[in-house]
Amino acid sequence: MTNHLREHIIASTADFPEGTHRVVELNGRKIGVFNIQGNFYALPSLCPHQLGPLCSGKVSGTLISNQETDWQLRWDHEGEIVTCPWHGLEFHILTGQCLAFSEIRLRSYKVWVEDGLIKIRF
Amino acid sequence: MSTQQVDSQERRRERLEDILVVDVDVHLHESAAEMAEYCDMPWRKSLEVIATLPERYLDTPGFSPGVDGIWAPFPGGHDATRVVHTPQQMVEELEEIEVDIGILFPDHLLKMAALPQVDYAVALMKAYNAWMIDRWCSREKTLKGCLVAAHQDPLAAAREIERYAKEPGIVGLYLPTAAVMPLWGNRIYDPIYQAAQDADLPVLLHSVAMIHPNFPHNTHHFETEMGQHTIGHGFSIMANLVSMVTTGVPVRFPDLRIAFTEAGVAWVPYIMHRLDKEYIERRREVPYLDHRPSHYVKKFFFATQPVEEPENPQDLVTLIQLYGGEETTMFASDWPHHDFDHPRKVYQLPFSQEARRKIMGENALRFFKIDSKGSRINI
Repeated sequence: MTNHLREHIIASTADFPEGTHRVVELNGRKIGVFNIQGNFYALPSLCPHQLGPLCSGKVSGTLISNQETDWQLRWDHEGEIVTCPWHGLEFHILTGQCLAFSEIRLRSYKVWVEDGLIKIRF
Repeated sequence: MSTQQVDSQERRRERLEDILVVDVDVHLHESAAEMAEYCDMPWRKSLEVIATLPERYLDTPGFSPGVDGIWAPFPGGHDATRVVHTPQQMVEELEEIEVDIGILFPDHLLKMAALPQVDYAVALMKAYNAWMIDRWCSREKTLKGCLVAAHQDPLAAAREIERYAKEPGIVGLYLPTAAVMPLWGNRIYDPIYQAAQDADLPVLLHSVAMIHPNFPHNTHHFETEMGQHTIGHGFSIMANLVSMVTTGVPVRFPDLRIAFTEAGVAWVPYIMHRLDKEYIERRREVPYLDHRPSHYVKKFFFATQPVEEPENPQDLVTLIQLYGGEETTMFASDWPHHDFDHPRKVYQLPFSQEARRKIMGENALRFFKIDSKGSRINI
């Protein structure tokens, strides 16, 4: 399987500041790439709900509430949540985990920086 | 003839009178005069005044208030004002319709949430509970009571639950639902839910047809009683169910058993799917939910009356199965009210024998934590 994986260059780090994200198309596949505090992450830009353009949505934090917060709302995961622009389904960018449905987790692609270039393999 | 065929023939012979029937919604009739005896001053004086008024069916100022008496009457029709005055009368009448254990709800106090005076509502709650235990539940073992909770003062209601937590005749808590404001999901009611969970007593929401500014939907728009009655109970219950799920009551009180009465059951799949649909878009409004809303709806219990009567009874079986209802649906007659259901209407539904026994009685035993003789197993 490994033989079929190919490396692709996404951009130079100088052109991809912290706290931004973009959707790139590689081999006909739309992929969301995120720079979160200098670390790069990539997810398929395809929402499993109704196949919406997930990674063109806003990146922000989200609200949590549980016994630990005494059932009060707390803002959390700042900059780590992408929300599908179609219906608002939220995903944790670092893990691909869907917040609403624990059984849904997106695949994540390997992304790294080499010689000032952001590279992805899939 | 195969063993299987013999079995199925033998099983078919089981009849309604052979199985345990628990009726999770029957109504006693509380008169203002009787309440007065058990009521603290100064509100006893009010009830003494109310007792002198000509009684109108669930339409008495200061006792069962609302915008009522708006329909032009005609002679004839069926008996819409049946009441049960004594526990002996109730036991006899329930025996006639093959009911073994009945869970008591009030008549007038169905409209209790419409009473604006907090201290009066509390006094009435205490009077009703004391009277019901003294005159009904402690006299007939097969009649079990639900304490009424005055939403007007949640802390007083919680104290009432603590007071009667171990009372053998009390098996649950009745939450008046018509005209309640705010809806039962509001966190001001948490002390009630905490006390109920601590006492291991379930809560049952019960509405009533009425017109009231607080009622969650526009029942004053209808030109017929049929229109009003078609959606009154159902919309009220749906509004409160949605309120409770979206504020996380079943998450904050995971051991609290919650039931919805007198709204039928066919709408449950609808509201479950509506909630799940909204959840996709609005999860962060309800981040305390660890699962999709239908997960919690499937843990609620539902009373059958007024049971839907589709041309094809299998349709109703399917609707009940859609919410896992073979485990959580409980027969209710609403005796002696005008729209009561005879147990045979539910008994005849084409369920498996096992599911039928559950719905007719066993689910209620589990919900109320009572045995088949009506004794509490949690005290």
